[in-house]
Amino acid sequence: MDALIQALVDILRPLGITEPVLQFMLVNAILGVSIYLTLYTGMFSLANAGFMAIGAYAGVAATQFIELPLWLGLIVGMAVAGLISLPIGLPVLRLKDIYLAIATIGFGEVVIILLLNFDEIISSVATALQGERVRIRLLEGARGIKGIPKSTETWMLFAFLALLMFLLWRLHKSRLGRAMAAIREDERAAANMGINVVYVKNVVFVMSAVVAASAGVFSAHLTRIISPGAYGFDKAVDILSFAVLGGTSTWVGPIVGGLAMGALPEVLRFLNELRGVFIGLILLGVILFLPGGLVNPAGVRLLFRRARRALRRRADAAERSSHAAP
Amino acid sequence: MSLLRRVLVVLLIVALSAPIALVAQDEEEPQMGLWEACADPANLPEVVTIGAIFGQSGNISVYGIPQSQAVALAVEQINEANYLGEGVTLEVIYEDSAGANEQAIAAMTKLVEEDGVVAVLGPTLSSEAFSADPIAQENGVPVMGVSNTAGGITDMGEFVFRNSLPEASVIPGTIAQATEALGLEQVAVLYGNDDDFTISGYDVFVSALEENEVEILGEATFARGDVDFNAQLTQLVSLEPDALVVSALAAEATQIIVQARQLGYEGPIIGGNGFNSPAVLTNAGEASDGVIVGAAWNIASPEALSSLFSEAYEEAYGALPDQFATQAYTGAWLMATAIRCADSAESADVRDALAGITDFASPLGMFSFDEDRNPVHDPVVQIAQGGAFAVLGAEMAEE
Repeated sequence: MDALIQALVDILRPLGITEPVLQFMLVNAILGVSIYLTLYTGMFSLANAGFMAIGAYAGVAATQFIELPLWLGLIVGMAVAGLISLPIGLPVLRLKDIYLAIATIGFGEVVIILLLNFDEIISSVATALQGERVRIRLLEGARGIKGIPKSTETWMLFAFLALLMFLLWRLHKSRLGRAMAAIREDERAAANMGINVVYVKNVVFVMSAVVAASAGVFSAHLTRIISPGAYGFDKAVDILSFAVLGGTSTWVGPIVGGLAMGALPEVLRFLNELRGVFIGLILLGVILFLPGGLVNPAGVRLLFRRARRALRRRADAAERSSHAAP
Repeated sequence: MSLLRRVLVVLLIVALSAPIALVAQDEEEPQMGLWEACADPANLPEVVTIGAIFGQSGNISVYGIPQSQAVALAVEQINEANYLGEGVTLEVIYEDSAGANEQAIAAMTKLVEEDGVVAVLGPTLSSEAFSADPIAQENGVPVMGVSNTAGGITDMGEFVFRNSLPEASVIPGTIAQATEALGLEQVAVLYGNDDDFTISGYDVFVSALEENEVEILGEATFARGDVDFNAQLTQLVSLEPDALVVSALAAEATQIIVQARQLGYEGPIIGGNGFNSPAVLTNAGEASDGVIVGAAWNIASPEALSSLFSEAYEEAYGALPDQFATQAYTGAWLMATAIRCADSAESADVRDALAGITDFASPLGMFSFDEDRNPVHDPVVQIAQGGAFAVLGAEMAEE
């Protein structure tokens, strides 16, 4: 496995993709899966960054404060995010479309503000109990938790992503997967067909949260420091851009989108400060010319057809003009 | 006689009575670098390459761009003066980190493992440093932060340096001097709690106030991007503190000063590094009178090298340098000095030479590294008067 990864990195190296870059690309791919689940069910949720933060903090708390191994930290992070997502999902998922997006952005902000003020809240409770001023430093607020060992290995990310891909593939063939697709197409019709819409939506929301949390745990053990600011609205939009770039017509799309968005800043490194502009242009181009994203067989076929038609028209025009001029 | 005027009078007396150490002017212009202490190197390759990681895009480019410009200026001067010996050029590979930990890691990996640089300057943010510096440490490449002020940066290993005074070395001096000059007994503290820079400043303020036996009447917080501080200020001013202690970045600092004055608060406002920006004074106008700031460097610095640098920087880029530019410029010279003194382009030798640098004349003043690879030089405590900073007198904060 290690030899394979080494070989892959050697192939990608000329592009500017070193092993750390590959690791963040894989984390992005996992986040892509997370947002794919909700989008596939027709839910426009932007809560992924918030659940990523919950996963990161819970996972780091498990590995640093209780000194559990990483795989247990991963389970703790996923479990905590899953437990939090249930009471959030029940009321929030009654909303649709843009209103759901706004509510989930709000959720993300609440998570960040709670993490920032966690120590103060605990301190004020302790102060009230003790009667004298107590300063507790646990999550360190904006300072971030530092000195996290870099224990995530590339093979773990590959293995985890492969597991997710297998589960997605199975999901699409399953009763739940079909129900998800039905809800996306028409919620009322699905309900009339006997699908428990509320149940399916909440199950998907929890799954999405758990996957986002796993990405949080992995990335926390790559960046060595976590601070609430890294999981803000910017991050939520980044995760959405994976789905936009890759497309959501198949489950490969967001994974490819995540990999590409992770690689682009490094591949375009030679452009220096113009990188952001170029990435924006690429996204814009995909939205305009490939509405279904990069991985969308129908869209690519359509593009080819259009191109062929344009070529044929040009050829016809050329032929006509050659006839017209005797 | 308003309290403000009384404050000014007291501070003026302090300033005048403080022994002002004038820099002995040589016949010729002072020059950067250890020309005498280290002989001209003879064993260097034709090109010595170092890396620089600064946030040149994104919302931290306001710091990253002056940093890379200042490094470019320093390298130009170093090469023109043949500081590394005849026919040896210093080259810099600039990498953009955009303020993201992931990109700082990728940039550091590229520089250290792909480009094989001798040493690295940067990254811009402390959080980026915590992410990326361990890579340099593992590969045995010296890395020098030129703007990292959070605690614990150099604890990452013996290859991690910084030349930016941490808040922990600036603020205690500020508080000690202000306490002595103003007879502070009770203060109110306002700080931004969503930014590692402002909250680190707050931590140091609290411990410095405790050390000087100043009581904290109350505390309030704000978030980056806030524009209305009336609620917090009303609450804090109503406690009638002797001074308002504020840990904020430049944008918020301006608003806080203006709004505190609007609420009728006339006492001193003591700020951290974030107040050390000419923009704060120009934007706050008359409201800024009586603002006291401790900082690593200021454009008003009496150092001869400092004014030389300011002139050169203005000539090159058409703007006056800020503290970030000055620290980056000094950092590049320090790195070149380490290469010169080591007479080697091996990272380990450069590290050892860097750790041994003492009494290096720089725009920041006489500069040395302590045994923990943290900077030692005099911070400047200043007071704003009539829209300009005046130096209160520089005294090294006693550890």
